[in-house]
Order: sequence, then C-alpha cells, then structure tokens
Amino acid sequence: VSDQPQVLLAHRRPGQPRWLADYRATGGYQALGDALGRLSPAEVRQRVQDSGLRGRGGAGFPTGTKWSFFPADAPGPKYLVCNCDEMEPGTYKDRVLLEAEPHLLIEGMLLAAYALGVEHGYVFVRYAYQGVLEALTRATAEARAAGLLGPRVAGTGFAFELHLHGSAGRYILGEETSLLNGLEGVRPVPRLRPPFPAQRGLFGRPTTVQNVETLCCIPPIVRGGADWFRGLALTPGEAGTKLFGLSGHLNRTECFELPMGVPLREVVERHGGGVRQGRAFKACLPGGASTPYLTAQHLDLPMDFGSLERAGSRLGTAGVTVFDERTCMLEVTLNLTRFFARESCGLCTPCRDGLPYVIELMERLEQGRAGLEEIEILKAQPEYINHSFCALAVGAMGPVESLIRHFEEELREHVRRGGCPHRS
Amino acid sequence: MPTLVIDDRQVTVAAGTSLLEAAMELGLVVPHYCYHKALGALGACRVCAVEILAGPEQGLRMACLVPAQDGMVVSTAAPRATGMRRAVTEWLMQNHPHDCPVCDEGGECQLQDMTVAGGHSVRRFQGKKRTFHNQDLGPFIEHEMNRCIQCYRCVRTYREHCGGDDFGVLGSRQRVWFGRFQPGRLESPFSGNLVDVCPTGVFTDRTARFKARVWEMEQAPSICPHCALGCATWPWARYREFVRITARENPETNGFFLCDRGRFGGGGVNHPERPRAPRVDGRERAWPEALGLVRERLGGLVRERGPGVVACLGSARASLEASWLLGRLAEMLGTDRVAHEVHPRRDAAARALAAGLGGLARSQRDIRQSDLVVLCGLDPHAEAPMLALAARQAVRQGARAVCIDPRGPRLPFPAGRIAAWPLPWLRALAARGDEGPTGVRAAALAGLADLRAALAAAASPVLLGGADLLGPEGVRALLALARALSRPERPCGAAVALSGPDSFGGGLLAGEPAGEPAGLDALLEGIEAGDVRALVCLESDPLAEHPEPARVEAALARLELLVCLDCAPGRTLARAHAFLPTTVPVEMAGAFVNFEGRLQAFERVFSPGLPIRATGGGDHPPREFRPDTPGDLPRPAWAVLAELQDMPPVLASIRAALAAEDARFASLPALEAGQPGVRLPLEEGAPGTEAAGADSPESGLRLLVTEALFGSEPLSALAEPIQRVALEATPDELGLHPDDAREAGLQVGQPARLECALGQVSLPWRPRPEFARGLVLAARRRGGALEAFVPGLGPIACRLGPAGEGVP
Repeated sequence: VSDQPQVLLAHRRPGQPRWLADYRATGGYQALGDALGRLSPAEVRQRVQDSGLRGRGGAGFPTGTKWSFFPADAPGPKYLVCNCDEMEPGTYKDRVLLEAEPHLLIEGMLLAAYALGVEHGYVFVRYAYQGVLEALTRATAEARAAGLLGPRVAGTGFAFELHLHGSAGRYILGEETSLLNGLEGVRPVPRLRPPFPAQRGLFGRPTTVQNVETLCCIPPIVRGGADWFRGLALTPGEAGTKLFGLSGHLNRTECFELPMGVPLREVVERHGGGVRQGRAFKACLPGGASTPYLTAQHLDLPMDFGSLERAGSRLGTAGVTVFDERTCMLEVTLNLTRFFARESCGLCTPCRDGLPYVIELMERLEQGRAGLEEIEILKAQPEYINHSFCALAVGAMGPVESLIRHFEEELREHVRRGGCPHRS
Repeated sequence: MPTLVIDDRQVTVAAGTSLLEAAMELGLVVPHYCYHKALGALGACRVCAVEILAGPEQGLRMACLVPAQDGMVVSTAAPRATGMRRAVTEWLMQNHPHDCPVCDEGGECQLQDMTVAGGHSVRRFQGKKRTFHNQDLGPFIEHEMNRCIQCYRCVRTYREHCGGDDFGVLGSRQRVWFGRFQPGRLESPFSGNLVDVCPTGVFTDRTARFKARVWEMEQAPSICPHCALGCATWPWARYREFVRITARENPETNGFFLCDRGRFGGGGVNHPERPRAPRVDGRERAWPEALGLVRERLGGLVRERGPGVVACLGSARASLEASWLLGRLAEMLGTDRVAHEVHPRRDAAARALAAGLGGLARSQRDIRQSDLVVLCGLDPHAEAPMLALAARQAVRQGARAVCIDPRGPRLPFPAGRIAAWPLPWLRALAARGDEGPTGVRAAALAGLADLRAALAAAASPVLLGGADLLGPEGVRALLALARALSRPERPCGAAVALSGPDSFGGGLLAGEPAGEPAGLDALLEGIEAGDVRALVCLESDPLAEHPEPARVEAALARLELLVCLDCAPGRTLARAHAFLPTTVPVEMAGAFVNFEGRLQAFERVFSPGLPIRATGGGDHPPREFRPDTPGDLPRPAWAVLAELQDMPPVLASIRAALAAEDARFASLPALEAGQPGVRLPLEEGAPGTEAAGADSPESGLRLLVTEALFGSEPLSALAEPIQRVALEATPDELGLHPDDAREAGLQVGQPARLECALGQVSLPWRPRPEFARGLVLAARRRGGALEAFVPGLGPIACRLGPAGEGVP
C-alpha cells in the first residue's frame, strides 16, 4: 500500500485516533488557516468545484455543483449536516476514517461551513458507532478549547458550532431527508423533493448534507489545490483517492485508501490478498449492499464512478464485498433484500410491500418451491419497485436486478434441481 | 394556466394543478389512495402512476406529484402505467384480509373499487399474511388494522388537519400501524373523519356497524342541525332507520370534514320515546281532527278574548320556513307576541348579531384563509366545533391566533392566551390608544398593545365570538370593534357562534331588540298578567331551556291552551293540551340560516316511521303485513303550521310566499340543497349603543354555565353514542382556579357545594390553573346533576364552599 498516495489515511495509527496535537503536527488545520486568511468563501467553493470531487456517500453527486445550488449568501440560519449514518452492509470506511482522523472531519466541516456561510453543523452518527461518537466528542472538545469551534473560529470573525447527534439506529436515517427529520425529532421518513434541502432542509432552513469522506477531502483540496486532487485519480474525469472497505471471501478484509480508478482486479488480488482458500472470484458488490453485482468479466474495470456506471453498476461507497465460486447468489440477494425490507420505513408501497413480495418469490426459488413462472414474476419487479418514494428500495433492487441480469441461469438451476444447487 | 393533453383530451388547468387533479377535471379515473383533496399529495401509495409521453418531463410518474405543465402529453393507460398500478395493487393485496363480505366499507371502498377496476383477481403471493391487533377506540370508531394499506390519510387527517395528538403511526416496514399508544376513546372532537378519509375499512362508523350496505341506504344532502355553523352532511337511512352521517363537501362551510357531534348525533330520530302521534286532551287523534281542534280552540280564544290572547314561541332548531309561518300564524291570530327562541339572552344575542353583522360576516372558508384569528369568549369545541378546525387551518398556514377567554378553552392549535373576560378587552381594543383601557388590568397592558398592533397589521383579521359568554352586549361590542378595525382596503371580519341551526334566521325574523325583554320573557309577562291564555310552542322546550324553570312552570299552569309541535321528547310536551308531532330535518326539506347569514336548503332523506327493525319483532322481513306505515305520522312543522292557517302545505308555495313578503329571502325559492348556499343580503346594521355591561366581574366568584361538546345540545343528546361519550367527556364537576379553591376552603378530593340563583348543588371539583381568577365553570350535560343549570346566562354571582358544611 505504501506505494499508493495516501491523502486521508496517511498518518493513520491503527487502534488510536490522532488528537489535536498530532493532527496539527502533520499540517492539520493549516488549510483552515489558509482559507480564513486568504480565500473568500466563493474561492473555496470554486476550488472544490474545480477539484472534481464527487460525493463519497454513494450517489457520487459532484460536490461543487451541489454547493452551487446552496444559497450561501442568504440571511438567516443555514445548516451543514455530516451524514455519518453509515449503515449499509459492507460499508465501514467512514468508521475507519473517523477512528483515525476525527479532526480531519472537523476541519473539513469548518471549511465547508466557511464556504457555504453556515454557522451550525451537525454530525449524525450511526447508533452502532459509539467509538466514532467518543472520538468526535473528544476531538470537538479539543477544537473548542483551541478556539477552532465557537463564535470566533481561529480568532477570526467566522463563527461555527458543531453538534454531535447519535442516531437511534435505522438504515433509513442515512437517506438525507429522513436524517433531517430524525435530527428534528420527528418520524424519520423521507421528505418529498422539491423542495430540496438546499432550499428547505433542517428546521425549514437551507441545509447541505455531506458524507464523512467527502468532507474529509476538503482540507486536502484546499491545501493541495484542485489540479493536484484531480491528478490523484488514475482515470480521466475522476478525482482524488477513495477509501475501499473490503469484505467477504478475501484473505485481507481491511480498509485501503487507493487512487480513484484502481482496477477491480488489483483491489481483489493485490490489496485483498486474493479470494480465500484459493477459490475463484464469482462476483462482488462494488460499493455496498445497494450496488449491482460485478462478475469475473468485470475484474479489469477501473473502480471509479463513471466506469462502473457504464458497466451497469455503481461505485457507491466502494465497500467491496467479494463472493467466491461456492456462493449461491440467490441466497446472497435474499439476505440483502431481507435487510432492506427490514429497514424500510414503511412509507411507500413498493418498498414496504414490494420488497417482502420479492423476498417471498426468492424464498420459493431458494427452497425449490418455484417454477420458471416465478423467475418471470421476479424479473418484472425491479422496474416497478424502482418507482419508490426514496432511494432505499431502488438500492434494494440493485442486487436483485443484477442477480437476474448475471445469474438467471443459476436461478433456472434452482428450478431444475428443486432447490439450491450450492447445497448438496 | 398550463394546457396539456391527457389520454388524447386537451385540458387547461390552473397553475400548480397536479396531473392527477387535471385528469379528474377531465373525468378520468386515476386510482389513488394517499392523495385526498383536503390533504393534498403525499406520494406514498404509488398507485396513481401515469406515463408522460412528451413534454418538459417524461417517463413514468406519480400523477399526484407532478404539476401539470404546458405541452405535456400524458397517458393514464400506457402499458407501463397500468403495469405499475397492477404491481402496486398486487403488493397491497398480499396482506389485505379480503374480508369484504363482513366489512362495513364494502360497496363504498376505494380499495375494493380500484382493485376490481384494475383487474386484480389472483393472489400470487403465497406467504403468510401479516396480522395486527386492533384497539378499542371508543364508541364512535371501529378499528380493523388488517385491512390497512398504509395510505397515511388517517394520521394526516387526525394530526395535521385536525390537530389531534392521541393517534398516530407506529412501527416501520411492513408493520406500520395506525392507532393510539394504548386503547381508549379517540380524544379529538373530529375523530369521525377517519371514517370518511380511510380508503378501506380500517376505520368504520361503529354506531352504524353491520346495519346496512351502502347500496341499500337512502341519502340526501342535508345540513347539520347540532350547532349554528350549518355544515354540510349526508345522512343515510335504511328502512326508516337512521343509520349514520357522513361529511358532504361544501367549500364555503365545512370543507370536507365534520365534528363528532354532528356526525354521531343524529340517532335521536329513532329515539324510542319520540312522540309520533297527534294528541289532544290526552287522546291520540288523526291529523285532521287534531288540526281542527287546535284551529277551533285558538280561534275560539281569539273570538272570546280578543287579539293578543295567543303567544307563539319558536326555536333555533326550527326551519326558517316554520319560523316564518309561526309569525304569520300569530299575525292571523291578531297577536304580536312572538319569540323565536326560548332563552332570553340567547334570543337577544342572535337578534343583535343578525341586525348588526352586515358586511362583517365571515364564512368558515374565510376563517380558514384569515391571517389573524382572535377568539373572544368562544370555546369552539363546545359551541361550534368546526370553527376550531377552521381556525386551525388558518394557523397551519401561518395565521396568528389569540384567545381572550377566562376559561382558557382547549384549542387544537397554538394561540396566545389572555385569561380574562372578553368584554373589557373588546372595548379597550376599540377605544383609541389615548383612552384609558378601562377594565383591563394594568399587568395586561403590554398584551393589549401587542394585540392592537397585530390587529392593525393583519391583512385579513377575523374576530370569533361565542354568544353564550358574550351575550347581546358582548356581540355588539365585538361587532363595534370589527367595524372600528375595518378600513376600506383592509376589512376586519366577525363571526359569532350562536346556539342553534336557525338562530340567525330567527334573529332576522325577530329583528333588533329594543331593550324590551327577549325570548320567552317577552311572552311570560303577558301570561303572568293573564292577558295571554294560549301558547304555541314550535319545537321548543321552555321547561328545559329557560333559565327560570319554576317561573315557566307557573306560567304554563295558567294557560288555557298549550299547543306543542315537536319532533323530540321534551319536558314541556307533558303539559301540552295539544301535541302535534313534527319531523326532524332528515325527514323533511327545509332551510336554515347559519351563523354567518348563509341560507342553506336541505332535502328529505327518508320518510318518518318506526324502523322495520323495531316493528319486525326480530323477523326479517317482518311477517306482519299491514297497509299503513307504523309511526309515520310526524309531519314537517311548516306543513302543520301552514294547515293551521289554511295555507296549502306545499314547501314551494310557502317559500314563494316568504320570499314575496320578505325581500331578504328572495333567493329562497330557487335555493337547492347540495349547493354552497347563499349569503343573505345583510343590512349594514347600525349597532345600537351598547349599555355599559355588568359583564366584567371585579371581585367575587362568578359561575359560568356552558355547553359541552357532548351531551348539551338538545337533539344530539338524544343519540345513544353521544350519551355514552358524554358520560365520560362531560363529567358533572366544577372547575376553578386552584387559588380560588384554596380561598373557598375546598379540599382536594372532597366535593364542593355551589349556591347561586340557578340553584344549589354539591359536585366534585377540579383545579384549572388556566382559568382566570374568580371563574367557576360548570358544563351542563342533559340528564346530569347540572340539568337545571341552563347555559347561556353569562357570569352569575355564586358562592362556593366544601360540601357538607354550610356555605360561609
């Protein structure tokens, strides 16, 4: 790994967060000082725009474009919310990042707040991430004591206060408008868009919601410049490094910072140490449980937003979960769909009732109680479930739709055998 | 005004109209569950899918969420759209119990209609259905959660629209569940609307449970008779049995909803003690004989003793036509002794309002659209429940609400609270700033200035009053304030809750009182002096409604002839020499004038008679065949009164005669039921100079007897479900400020003894810290311990002490 440029995890000390002194010793908060001293908010926004940074929370929306919609100069309260409700199965990179560099997030939020004219920030932390909450609690206390948070940030006229909020623990809170409802203390169901959070977000005020890793990319961009950041990517049109959280049937299931555009084969074979027990690679979720499967034919794909979209999948959060040749992909998909059905908020019919419908179909196939007709019924579902209220059910259809696309023969084998061919 | 094409038909709609609403304008049916006209779009059910084939936005979309735009070409029947609807229906039918044969919603179920219309017939899902436990939600609403399709209309209605907080959505995923935290009666006075908005049978009318299928019932557009607001209703009946009431849409009045008193208060029609046959001298008579006897005796008295010997007493629950005919009968009998309301203070207040409202009148719709609502001595839940809902809609859209009331009434919206008697405030607000605010405590001056500023700044302020607390002086003060606050470019409105469905109409017929005794008091003196020997009571019960029952009792005893026309069992009927049974509004056509001067007609829903269920002896169909209809004798009061004066008992000709005689009612002959009604041309009354009121008690305890939401209003109090709820919701108790209780020596948990001009009573009491000091509140439930305490008197002096000891 040492030959890869390390931007976010360069100084990572496994098992121990880096506190303020350590963070400062390696140039921490210099970007903040530079920005407050020399850059206008508009210049910071421009630098982020030029950097080509795309949101690391899964959707990959260009951060600079998102900020250009934000009414940074509008009077009245505005909010910056960090989405640290990392609850998608197979995704854990934000936890690794924050347990290593809590101050990087604080600095990133300070810079984003400065750029967007925001005085209040929230970090919405996943229920299970008590370690992250503890690290952030201590780091924000340090920052406050050092005058980096509060009414006069670093002695300037810029004011920013950061509030930490521990989630009560549902996957739907990761959806940004549900998260805002959760922060407001009302039932966390997604909100209708428009109005978008940039117009009416938290407490009815302009709000921008950003992923942890996205915000952590801001200090390096401000310090290193947009061109440097773009140059970190291996593929044209992409930018920066990316945290890859590996899991599944690999020899090494860790989180690595790799250049955007690193080939999947390199991720699997070099960094992941290859498929365990010398077995063959069958498929992977490239970016968390809601991204369509990649198969062995995709091993030479560059892992970046554009390439994966063209291949019919998504980079998502780059939480790569690998499945070996002995895995029943129907069983994997059933397991994933059960997760999504369990975490549905129950607002819209496709998600609340469509996912259980799909589960029942897949159970019949898996248990050998289905005919070919069930495969046809299953095939018809994603198109309609994709018209759900929010992206939860759409995400749930990622694996289902790609199961049909890549593994229909395996489904037919279930029908022919009257049960799962992987269990004998 | 975008123009678009839906299913090959062009339509131009108002900007902001959704595709779903645009399709409905064309008469196209697009299935929908979560969308409701009153609640708007939610986008949860995903069944209203349409395909946009061309235009600025294309593809499969939810019709409720996409605003119509110029150039759109929309198909409701494209394969993808119908496929989506089929898929959603199939998903929803996984768990629906398919219990239509035993479901009260069957036949009027949106889910059933849309599912069948979409062609869904085979359930391919083979898993177990998810099931729920149901709750006992009280006597009004039946809960059957297994039928739920999670459209969220119920929570949006109950919580957002109606402001209730004891009902909501619990759980997540496929276990989303709608109900209360624990079983119990739904506390909102608007809970019955769940029945109307639920697109399937989760919430059904418990009072109508298993009584009838929708296609077996008769219905007609009617007007709610249980307060003065004149909300639009659909009463339903089957085989002469009243079954239920649902809300009718009238954008000018109730919008889409009803209060629970209006919805569940109609059962009195079938009250077992309802007198149904004409009686004279204690004997049942056929109509011609009864009418002949009454006519003969009234005529005989007039011949014998001269004009003025007969007095006529009407009521706020009589139709406008009957009230007018009562006055005409008096004229024919040569008397001007007519009152249209028993209660003197209510009569005077209604007349003051009818004479002075003029252009200040505001409808429920106007109130919903107001930006400042000031409630002055109005407990809307009790006196005119839908006013609370109207004010809530204003507040939801950003209006400010202020409540000047010593009771601090419960309101379903946040409001600035001024715990004081309203009259001094009305006068102080009307006074110029440099005049001293007499009667307003110094501590409240900041609030006064703030309210004055708010009233000056508001774009569409409206003052809401309650006639029972304000009385005629207060009504005049309220109207005077609204006039004082009005500028040509920025009028201020006023609305006053009166007691009955035709209080305003009676007030118009009676005219402005000129200081003389009002109501029955105007007639009592004549009776007591022996000048009046006969009284005709039109649907009024003076023994129950007049604040001095003993005086009334004595007066009635002096009469040679008491003629009662009524549709409900009442106390006065027992004294009647002649009784003529009349119909209730659902059994007749007629008209009422509501609190804002809106003339509205209602139609007959069903003909009077004993329900088949009651006459069949348990058999169905009844085995005893007979040529007549048992219990069908009640007739509309206007028909009875017309015949008494030899006029054809034909509504059209009565209305024509009324319109010809009184130009204010010129619109009556053309009036149709089921329409929004007509605001009468109200004269710009010059409100009489108001006497300085004794309405602001300075010291000492003052008893205020009020109506309650359930159990006070005479007709709804006959309905069994209302009686059941009233026992719990309107307990016999006194309320007063805890400091007053301490000063009176009351002990927690020990009853209090109350003495006042109305009588004396020992009752439990409850500390009410939101009350103004000096107020003792008692809500009257019919049949309860406070039966003799007639509301509507304003504050009266009283003494209070621990029960069991002499009052100091």
